Amino acid sequence: MPPNGSNSAAAVWAVLRKECRSEWRTRYGLNAALLFAVSTLTSVSFAVGRLPDRSDLLAALLWVVLLFAALASLAHAFVREVEGHTLTLLRLVASPTAIALGKLLFNLLFLAVLEAVTVPLFLVLMGGPPVHWGPFLLILGLGSLALAATTTLVGAVVSQTRGRGALFAAVSLPLLMVVLAASVSGLRAQWDGNPVATEARLLAAYAAVVLGASVLLYDHLWED
Amino acid sequence: MILRLSLFLWIAAAMLGGFLWAPLVTALGASTRVLYFHIPSAWITVLALGWSMLHSVQYLRTRRLDHDDQAAAAAELGVLFCIVAAVSGALWAKAQWGTYWNWDPRETTIFFLLLIYGAYLALRSAIEGEEKRARLAAVYSVMAFVTVPFLIFVVPRLYATLHPSPILPQQGERGAMDPRIRICFLAMLAGFTALFFWILSLRVRLVRSERRALSESAAQS
Repeated sequence: MPPNGSNSAAAVWAVLRKECRSEWRTRYGLNAALLFAVSTLTSVSFAVGRLPDRSDLLAALLWVVLLFAALASLAHAFVREVEGHTLTLLRLVASPTAIALGKLLFNLLFLAVLEAVTVPLFLVLMGGPPVHWGPFLLILGLGSLALAATTTLVGAVVSQTRGRGALFAAVSLPLLMVVLAASVSGLRAQWDGNPVATEARLLAAYAAVVLGASVLLYDHLWED
Repeated sequence: MILRLSLFLWIAAAMLGGFLWAPLVTALGASTRVLYFHIPSAWITVLALGWSMLHSVQYLRTRRLDHDDQAAAAAELGVLFCIVAAVSGALWAKAQWGTYWNWDPRETTIFFLLLIYGAYLALRSAIEGEEKRARLAAVYSVMAFVTVPFLIFVVPRLYATLHPSPILPQQGERGAMDPRIRICFLAMLAGFTALFFWILSLRVRLVRSERRALSESAAQS
């Protein structure tokens, strides 16, 4: 089947809307991810208690919570299509690039919702030093972009393997280590009142490179 | 046969030279000699990853399974050399730094290369169908390769390293190699590279004959 579907911004937008609607109808992906994030957060909080002056630990724990919640849920967008046998129909109406970009935007939105719940809860429960919101949100946003860009491509690949979701975390993690290191270092610098420009540039460059490579690779995701 | 024998003699001679002829670096003592194994292995680890990714791109362009065989075989060998590099590095670190592993940036980088190879091979083993496996593995390989420069060049800048400079110091600079060490080292580097390509060709030939045998037995039945 040739990839002859529509490849415009309208197609990307349509895929995004369709994703949001089907997620909203069941909400089980989001509910599972939120519960997972809150459970991880609770175990972390119970295990270490409040950390008012340990910015190094806070930055690491926050990203570990976010990363685990993301790895538990972001393959879902593609796995759902494969399990529901709806991918073929989707591919008839949109090009692989439009599908993947639509799902990438959906994953970003998904992460934003996840973080909107998890991050305030984390800050309240762990009781860290005051947050510098500008640098904090910059690092969080760029880190999420890099995370979503990587996991969307890996999710599309992993959804076509035996056992689908099982490999997702193991296969994504080696690619995400740079994101984790830079984001943790950026959040720590922000809490310590240091500049975050190096980490922000690094995350932005990483996201740009991964997105660029993804756009070239999306065309090869499906063909049979 | 002659090529194989000369490769064996070449590596043996370089090794003997390293142990008997070349001097030791004063500050490093006997642990100097790890460089004849460690640096060539680390070089092959990176070379194998590059070779694998080059053939993955070629596969995506041409869809010839030959390229996938090359990519998979290079990744398998990459794991082997990556382990040799990590273990020899850890032994050297024990002698010089007092601990086998302390997440020095170079140790971090080599560990992630190992993870990437592992993930690539795990992914391959989970996909049914040759064409599909080749295609998806190639997509993953390209993606992994574009993230590697960040690991190799960026992580050491975020965290301070104790590791000796990865670039050979020139004559007269601080830490310049003794010429005899340099000769043995470069000979080992060339020997390891030849060894890599020889084993690679064996592995690729093995996979091809397996595929031919499979298709012949399928044709007979």
